[in-house]
Amino acid sequence: MVNLKSLPSPEEPAEALAAVVALRLLADKLEHSAVSSAIEQGWSWSQIAEALGVSKQAAHKRLASVHSKADS
Amino acid sequence: MFKTIRQRFRDMGTIKALCFEAEKLGNADGQKEPGAEHFVLSALALPDGTARKAFLRVHADPDSFRAAIAKQYEDALQNVGIALPRGAEISGEATPIPTSKGPYKTQPSAQALMQTLTREIMKKEQKADSTAPLLSAHVLLAATSAQYSVAARAFRAMGIDPEKLAKAANAEIVAYRACL
Repeated sequence: MVNLKSLPSPEEPAEALAAVVALRLLADKLEHSAVSSAIEQGWSWSQIAEALGVSKQAAHKRLASVHSKADS
Repeated sequence: MFKTIRQRFRDMGTIKALCFEAEKLGNADGQKEPGAEHFVLSALALPDGTARKAFLRVHADPDSFRAAIAKQYEDALQNVGIALPRGAEISGEATPIPTSKGPYKTQPSAQALMQTLTREIMKKEQKADSTAPLLSAHVLLAATSAQYSVAARAFRAMGIDPEKLAKAANAEIVAYRACL
């Protein structure tokens, strides 16, 4: 678990914001890989949406490119 | 007049190549839309070679820019206590996204770069000489105007001073035009 005290200080916004950008990219990539694997394992969009905590429509709209990649 | 029109058509071709390659690089990097850093990578591949020469002028290897993008992500993650496994890269990892079939979209950092490039840099250049060509070094100039973008952090990760890189880009633009 990340110790919150070890995070960049808000008084150093450049470092803190750079960390936010990197975390977002890491999360996006993890999401794409996990959804791609889930589709390959036969998960439905309803199951993926439930696991991600979003609606089925939102999951499909945001991750349709993963779907087409898994199909190809 | 004819020379000016011909040059504008050539510039449109350069912008098309720049945007197409940037999108390809962004998608190959697992991102839906290219950012300013992908436009810098794309500029380094443009045939005029002025962006690559500007890098060499500040003693930086243009082929290391991609690794520098990954390095600045790694450094940022280390600041929050996340160390990637050895050999793993957040940027450049093999999670490509199919190229979008809809309208051309970019990340805000790339939109800002293109606005600086077309509305400031090229406007000024073409005011001085209407036949001035759009070069890859102009793209570098636009990229160095941002302080906190991924591209700016990647320059710093390579030990490049953005001001010196901008000066080198300007010098390469002058040298290129002197050879025309």
